Amino acid sequence: MTPWMSSGLIYASGLALTAGSVTLIYITTRTFNFAVASMATIGFYVSYTGVILYGGLPYKYYPFVIIIGSIVGLICYYGLNRHLLRRRAAEITLMMSTLGYDLVLLSMIQMYTDFLTKTYKLFPRRVTMNIYDFELFGEKAAAFILPFIAIVFLMGLHMFLTKTKFGVAMRATIENPVLAGASGINSDRVYLVAWVIGGGMAALGGAFIAMAQTGTPVMGMFIIPLMFAGAILGGLGSLYGGILGGFVIGMTEYAGVFYLAQRFGPWVLGYRMGIPLMLMAITLLIFPRGLAGIPLVKLFGLLAGKKRGVNA
Amino acid sequence: MLIVKNLNSGYGKLQILFDLNIEVPDKGLTVVVGPNGAGKTTLLCSIMGIANIFSGEIMFNNIPLAGELTYNLAKKGISYVPQMGNVFAELTVLDNLHMAGYLMPRDEAKDKAAQMTDIFPVLKKFILRKAGTLSGGERRMLAIAMGLMKNPKLMLLDELSTDLAPIIAEKVMMEVSRLRDELGITILMVEQMAKRALEIGDTAYLLVSGEVRYKGKADSLLHEPELCSMYLGIKPPADKKNSYALPTPEEGSE
Repeated sequence: MTPWMSSGLIYASGLALTAGSVTLIYITTRTFNFAVASMATIGFYVSYTGVILYGGLPYKYYPFVIIIGSIVGLICYYGLNRHLLRRRAAEITLMMSTLGYDLVLLSMIQMYTDFLTKTYKLFPRRVTMNIYDFELFGEKAAAFILPFIAIVFLMGLHMFLTKTKFGVAMRATIENPVLAGASGINSDRVYLVAWVIGGGMAALGGAFIAMAQTGTPVMGMFIIPLMFAGAILGGLGSLYGGILGGFVIGMTEYAGVFYLAQRFGPWVLGYRMGIPLMLMAITLLIFPRGLAGIPLVKLFGLLAGKKRGVNA
Repeated sequence: MLIVKNLNSGYGKLQILFDLNIEVPDKGLTVVVGPNGAGKTTLLCSIMGIANIFSGEIMFNNIPLAGELTYNLAKKGISYVPQMGNVFAELTVLDNLHMAGYLMPRDEAKDKAAQMTDIFPVLKKFILRKAGTLSGGERRMLAIAMGLMKNPKLMLLDELSTDLAPIIAEKVMMEVSRLRDELGITILMVEQMAKRALEIGDTAYLLVSGEVRYKGKADSLLHEPELCSMYLGIKPPADKKNSYALPTPEEGSE
């Protein structure tokens, strides 16, 4: 692997999950979730706490990361989002309410890091998680394991959405909430599951990202523009588009920084976030519906022998 | 079966319906007609818990419906076929039928879906195709089949003929009257194709600006030249200025 690729794969897998989380919650509940930032940070701190207090590799704590993230999503839905949805709040109100929730979570993360510092004499405000990783074929093992975990997670999600009755009901509600309600599908339960899955995805994504970058209490706040950029690049209407968008944004950042720094010097590092955001802007100028709207995706579908009219 | 009493409803702060009173008798086809913006769709949306109800009562078999969440109404045996977006375009025809039978046990839903493809053979051909790829008429058939999946006591049909070619719209209307005649389902139908709807309907309501202007037998409304030409765009036949009656079999065969 080239030097940027191993870290890029880890980071892009994390961004793919967080962008997927943003998209899933948006297409089900119309809520652009700012709390994804702190959800991701919480995911990182759950894996960090596990490694520091109980030892072993970070990977074995990922089930807990997903559970805690899901609980954070569940609380956001029951404590906030559900009441606003029932009152048919505008999208801007829904979005700003999650910003408030994010600030509450951020404060709790700060308190938790203080607790770790005072009680266990740790330094949780700047953490390099990849020192707890091992090497595989001369690379960080995370470069192989994390994309694999992300693919397994997303395949599981795909199976859930296409093969289970409730999963199909979720897709039906996403497409047409009125008709789904008239069919007897409980939209309340669909929204709850979207928040639970979205919370778990965001937390797992955060735990991944911390394997490539320094973990801090404000880690999520720094990366949130890229999480949203991934979701927007994916077209916002398509879960798979959002996941692909997050991955493309992550890989572009690492590849762009590496090659541009080689060509123009290390000062480029200061503008690393601008590279994927420029890619997003250019893509949207050419394809306003994002990656999901690129005819090439349909073309691949046709080449794969799918029937006419299949959407990516 | 369904009684709407002094209903005032709308969307947000905007009131659309004013003191509306409607009765839908058991096993009959009740037609609601009226010009655009009269509040026909809002009436159905109010019954289904989609519009905001400001005051009034909606009783279904003596059970109050006002304030009930939409998904609970399906459990009570009310089936709603909206005017637009009446199928899940991204799901296959089979998944659409299964979703319409969401509240049933899996095996029962499968049997019922098979029954629907017998009633509407056109759906059998496209059973694994996405509903979004069907033609307008096929979609409408699927929408009616989805409405029937729930074994409804009451079906609310919203402008089924919209955007359809006249010949296809006629087919859809024939299906609707078959639902009443053969399956004995109570139907409340909102329709823009007023003349044809009044011909097949039992009871009719003419809605204008959110208020009832006519209530009575459906075919009798066709004998109200003023109401017909002013609100429904139905002109008297050239040779019979004051008659809107359907041709008798003898007349038809001439």
